[in-house]
Amino acid sequence: MGISSVLVGAVVLLVLILVWIRADSTSRHLPSVPEEWLSDQGDAAEVCPPEFVSQVFSAQDLAFVSRLESRDLKRRFLRERCAVALFWVQQTTAAIHRIMRRHLEASRLSEDLEFAVEARIFLQYAQLRLICAALFLSIGLAGPQRLHGMASLANQLTQRIGDMLKEFESGARTREMDGA
Amino acid sequence: MSTAVKLVPVQVAYDDLLSRTLSRISCDLGRLIYLASTRDYNAGNYHHEGLATRFSPEVARKALEIAHRQVFYKVSAFSLEELVTDLEAYLRSTRENTQEFLRTWQKLEPYRVAIPTEVNLTVARLFTSNLRLALAILRFRQEPSHSHR
Repeated sequence: MGISSVLVGAVVLLVLILVWIRADSTSRHLPSVPEEWLSDQGDAAEVCPPEFVSQVFSAQDLAFVSRLESRDLKRRFLRERCAVALFWVQQTTAAIHRIMRRHLEASRLSEDLEFAVEARIFLQYAQLRLICAALFLSIGLAGPQRLHGMASLANQLTQRIGDMLKEFESGARTREMDGA
Repeated sequence: MSTAVKLVPVQVAYDDLLSRTLSRISCDLGRLIYLASTRDYNAGNYHHEGLATRFSPEVARKALEIAHRQVFYKVSAFSLEELVTDLEAYLRSTRENTQEFLRTWQKLEPYRVAIPTEVNLTVARLFTSNLRLALAILRFRQEPSHSHR
């Protein structure tokens, strides 16, 4: 029983590693726009507008391609859409990481931190990272079209954390001005 | 106050650009390619002689930049089916040989230079990916016997 559990665990781990490697190589496939642009972008361009997240994960385009009855086109569509979906996951993870890093730097300088607010931000951040990791693994296996709800949730969480941190920053500025 | 004063001429220039120039172009992809062509490849600044004369180079630049970003987001939001239709309309408007056009666009991917700066990277990636697919679909429709596998 013990050995079989270890074996099953090892197989599951191996499968997860393989899926991760596959997803990673798919996300690197088809370079599109220079990554250096990211550093020049403001917050507005950092988070993907929700209508485009819906589009990437929607089944409408797949239905259109399926009607064309070409296996090659369908395979190509799935590969392209997977690459875009994985790119979005990576972009979201990187964006939220940058936003959190900025927040941590600001928190270090702040004298009146509220534990409840900080804990809420951290929990949402952890939840988002978990969803992004799950999406990264699942996109290659299930296809983006089946993960629409999860992607929308990740996008909502990103927006929510961004808004909370903006509120936090404006509050800190007001307190600074009052104190000065 | 000064911002409001500045925004009004940009809005007027933008409306002027829509009514005098962009409305004469038959499809959104054509509008996008046109607006991208008003951008200097080296400096990234936009220039339109008529608009700059009627308003000012700075106002014209801003109006072109806004219009470019808006048309880009509109085309990127198209479903694949809508994009194929728009690409077909653009192809017809160029009066080029269809096979030649498709081959060149698939090879050179000239639509990449139509991406404005400061747009979301996922949207930019979706745009290029959808155009690659739309081109493949049009090519498939041109050669149906080769593609039914």
